[in-house]
Amino acid sequence: MTTVLIADDSETILLLMRTRLELAGYEVETAADGQEVTELVDPDATDGPDILLLDAMMPRKSGIDALRELRAAGLETPALIVSAHQDPSDASAPQDLEISGYLTKPIDFDLLLETVAELTAKTG
Amino acid sequence: MTVFGVAHIIQQRQDYENGIERSYRTEMVARVKLAEGVAPKASRHAVLRQEAHREELRHSISHGTRNTVILVAAGLLAGLLGALLLFAGLIATMRRPLEALVSAAGRLAAGDRSTRVEVGGPAETAALGTAFNEMAAELELEASERDRLDRMKDEFVLTASHELRSPLTSVQGFAELLMMDRESLSPRQVETVQIILDNCRHLVRLLNDLLDLARSDAGRLTIKPRPTQLTPLIEDVVRTMRAQTDADRQTLVERIDPQLPLVEVEPDRIRQILVNLVTNAHEYSPDEATIQVIARVADSVVQIDVTDNGPGIPAAQADHIFERFVRGDAGLTQRVGGTGLGLAISKSLVDLHGGTIEVDSVVGRGSTFTVRLPLAPPGAIESTAPSGPRALAEGQR
Repeated sequence: MTTVLIADDSETILLLMRTRLELAGYEVETAADGQEVTELVDPDATDGPDILLLDAMMPRKSGIDALRELRAAGLETPALIVSAHQDPSDASAPQDLEISGYLTKPIDFDLLLETVAELTAKTG
Repeated sequence: MTVFGVAHIIQQRQDYENGIERSYRTEMVARVKLAEGVAPKASRHAVLRQEAHREELRHSISHGTRNTVILVAAGLLAGLLGALLLFAGLIATMRRPLEALVSAAGRLAAGDRSTRVEVGGPAETAALGTAFNEMAAELELEASERDRLDRMKDEFVLTASHELRSPLTSVQGFAELLMMDRESLSPRQVETVQIILDNCRHLVRLLNDLLDLARSDAGRLTIKPRPTQLTPLIEDVVRTMRAQTDADRQTLVERIDPQLPLVEVEPDRIRQILVNLVTNAHEYSPDEATIQVIARVADSVVQIDVTDNGPGIPAAQADHIFERFVRGDAGLTQRVGGTGLGLAISKSLVDLHGGTIEVDSVVGRGSTFTVRLPLAPPGAIESTAPSGPRALAEGQR
C-alpha cells in the first residue's frame, strides 16, 4: 500500500488531508513541521513513505528546508509542496530543488488526489 | 539734470524773444524817422543794424539750444549707463543662487526629494533658498512616510491573504467531505453545504483578486510574455465556462479567425482576463442569452471581443467600469458573485502587456468588451514552455 507522509502545522488540515487520502485508499503518516519530517524519514531506508506532501511554510523548519536536507542526504522520494502562496515565485520555491508538483491553498483535493495517483503509478 | 536743462532752454528762448521784440521796436522807431525824413542816414543805418542784430540773436539761440540738448542727452545717457551697471551688478549676485534654485527645483520635480540648495546671495535669494530647503525636507518626510504606509498596506494584504488560506482550506475541505456523503444528507443539508462551498469559492476569488491588486500597486505584478497561439487558449476558456453557461441555457460560442497570428503574451494571464470577461457576461446576462468570443486580426493587433446580448451598461457606469469595486447593476440576474475587482485587474494585466481593453455597451442590447493584444515579433515560433508547477497551481482562478 502506498504511504503518504503529510506535514502541516495546522491539525485541522492534517485531519482533512488524512481523511481524504485514507478515503482514497492511502496509508497516511503525519508530521507537524519540517523538523518532525527529517526525524521521521530515513534517506537510506527502503520502507519509508512513498510520497511526501509538505507545507512550504511551517514553524521550526519549513517543508522546503526539510526537503532540501533530505535531498542532500540522497532521498529520492517524490515530493509535493503545498503553499498558501498563489504563485510559486512568491514562495521562494527553489528552482534547483526536485519537486514533483506544487499545490496552492485552499487545496483542490481532486487535483491533489489526481497528482498523488499519478506519482503512485510512476513509482509503482 | 534733465529738468535743469529744460528750464535752461525755456529761459534762453524767453531772452531771445524779448531781444527780437526790442530789436523790432527800435527798427520801427528808425523807420518812422526815415519816413518823416529825420536824419535819414542815421535812421537807415539803424534799420540795417537791427536786422543784423536779429540775425545774430537767431544764430545764438539755435547754437545755445543745441548745446543744451546735447548736454541733456549726455546726462540722460550717463544716468541710463549708471542704472544699467547697478542692475547688472545686482543680477550677477542673484544669478548664481537663482540658477541653483532652478536646477534644484527641476531635480525635486523629477523625484529627487533629497535635493537641497546652498543658501546665499542677497537677502531675498537667501530667504528663497531657505524656504526651498524647508519645503524639500517636508516633501521628503511625507514621501518616506507614504512609502512606509504603502509597504505596510501591501505587506498586510499579502499576509492577510496567506493567513486566510489555511482556515479557508479547512472550511472548504470539510464541506467537500460532507458532500462526498451526500446520500446520507437531507436535501436541506445538501443545499446548506452547497452554500458554504459557493461562498468559499467566492472568498478564494476575492483573496486572489486582492493579492493581484496589492502586487499591482507594489509594482510586483509582472508578466513573462512569450509568443503564444491564442486559439487553443480561447477554446479552453470556452470549454471551461460552458458548464456554467449551459446551466442557465445560455449559448456560448467562439469565432476565431483560422489565420490568427501569434501574440506576445503570458498565456495564464490572458486566460485569467478571458475567464473574467466571460464570467461577467454569464453572470450579468439573463437565461438563454448568447455570449460570443470573437478573435481576429485588426490593424497589426489581435482583437478579442467578448459580446453578450444582456442588459447592457449605462454610459455613466461604463465610464468607471474598470475602477476597483465598481460593479454593474445586477439587473435581471441573481447570479452575480463577482468581487468588483476583476475588471480592474484585467485592465492592469492588459496594460502590462502593452494592450488595450475597452467596453462598448447599449442598454437593452448588450455589451462588448474588446481586448487588443500585441503581435509576437515576425518570425517568432510558439514556445511550448510548460507552465510547470504553475499549471498545477491554477486550480481556481
